[in-house]
Amino acid sequence: MTTSFAGRVHPFTAGTVTLVLIFLGVLAPAPSGPPLLYAAVCLLAIVTGVGRAVLHALVVVVPLWVLLFIMHGILGEAPYLTAPWGGTLSVAGMAWGVEQGSRLAAIVTASLAFARAFDPHRFLQAAIARKWPFSAAFLIVATLDAMSRFGQQATRLREAQRTRGLKVRGSLATRARAIPALVFPLLLASLTEADERALALETRGLTATGPRTAIDPPADHLLERVVRWMAVTALLAIIIWRVRA
Amino acid sequence: MAINLVIGRIVAELALPVYLDTLGTMLVAILAGWRGGLLVGSISQLLAGMLSGYQWIAFMPIQWLIALLAGGAAQGKGFAGAWRSGAWGALCGLLCGACSAAISYLLFRGVTAGGVTAVGALLRSLGASLPVAVTAASISTDLLDKTAAFVLVGFLLRALPRRILGRFPLAARAVDR
Repeated sequence: MTTSFAGRVHPFTAGTVTLVLIFLGVLAPAPSGPPLLYAAVCLLAIVTGVGRAVLHALVVVVPLWVLLFIMHGILGEAPYLTAPWGGTLSVAGMAWGVEQGSRLAAIVTASLAFARAFDPHRFLQAAIARKWPFSAAFLIVATLDAMSRFGQQATRLREAQRTRGLKVRGSLATRARAIPALVFPLLLASLTEADERALALETRGLTATGPRTAIDPPADHLLERVVRWMAVTALLAIIIWRVRA
Repeated sequence: MAINLVIGRIVAELALPVYLDTLGTMLVAILAGWRGGLLVGSISQLLAGMLSGYQWIAFMPIQWLIALLAGGAAQGKGFAGAWRSGAWGALCGLLCGACSAAISYLLFRGVTAGGVTAVGALLRSLGASLPVAVTAASISTDLLDKTAAFVLVGFLLRALPRRILGRFPLAARAVDR
């Protein structure tokens, strides 16, 4: 994860650039702004070594594009143009679909590229070095850790329940009946685990107050700080421009 | 928080018309109070954004509403029986559905998650206007989702051993023990 350029930069730099791109996704003026932004985000992801996020984002975005096409292109308001297959398409609906589809694609790609570059432990070290509230930073890191653990536990549980005869495919009623068998054990296990972890972390001084020492804080070069400030300044300038326009 | 995300994924794999991706928020609001629920809801929405796109952060007020209502239901012994849980769930579904419809229509013009948008598209094809289709789709799916979530959490709380319930006074009150 940290071998890519995006993974090697300071976590706050990656976070700031992502945040700015997301805001730009909302603010970019139509019609050409959103598609251009999406292209720029894809290019940035590829150049910084997290190009797989572009493909991963397509998995999330393509269903949204299809739904936009159906909801606004096919079922949109008049005036209509003739579609190549003989039906009609809403002119305004198609324009909105392209605009919104590009905005969503830019935001999803930026988010997933950030997720690909994000190293929770580097982020925690950076937060400690900056004297951010430790509990808030730790909550994010602990949740990401717990997510992968619970995800694996959920997979094991699902397989175990299937060997005991649980059906996870079939009619709606059959699938709905599978919910308690999959969800209850996971919820109970999470309650027990949360209890044990809280005790373990408390005895290790997690709730202690006072300054903490970052053992291995990521380097924060001057150039990166300049990039962060420039990104935020550019965003503010765009907000002012858009409000005035 | 992790429970919200993992259970949401399990249920999505079952391809059911519910999400159940707020069980963690509800559970924490019942065990630790609505403030804990607000925190969990906010952070899990942030992390969900990291995994599927930050555009869904617009729906964070839904998480807050769920935390407040689950906390309120716990105070009002709303998980003492299946019918009471279901009634609180239906109330939560109606309010969350209305709030979700407003966000979905104003910011996304009705195109959000697959299931709810498919219902909206079906209603549009039957001649409903966009605002009506989005509102009906959001309220119907949220009504189903939140009712199922409250009933599930109610069953879970009532099944908890007294040893665990004893450590969470609000949860004990929620199931009237």
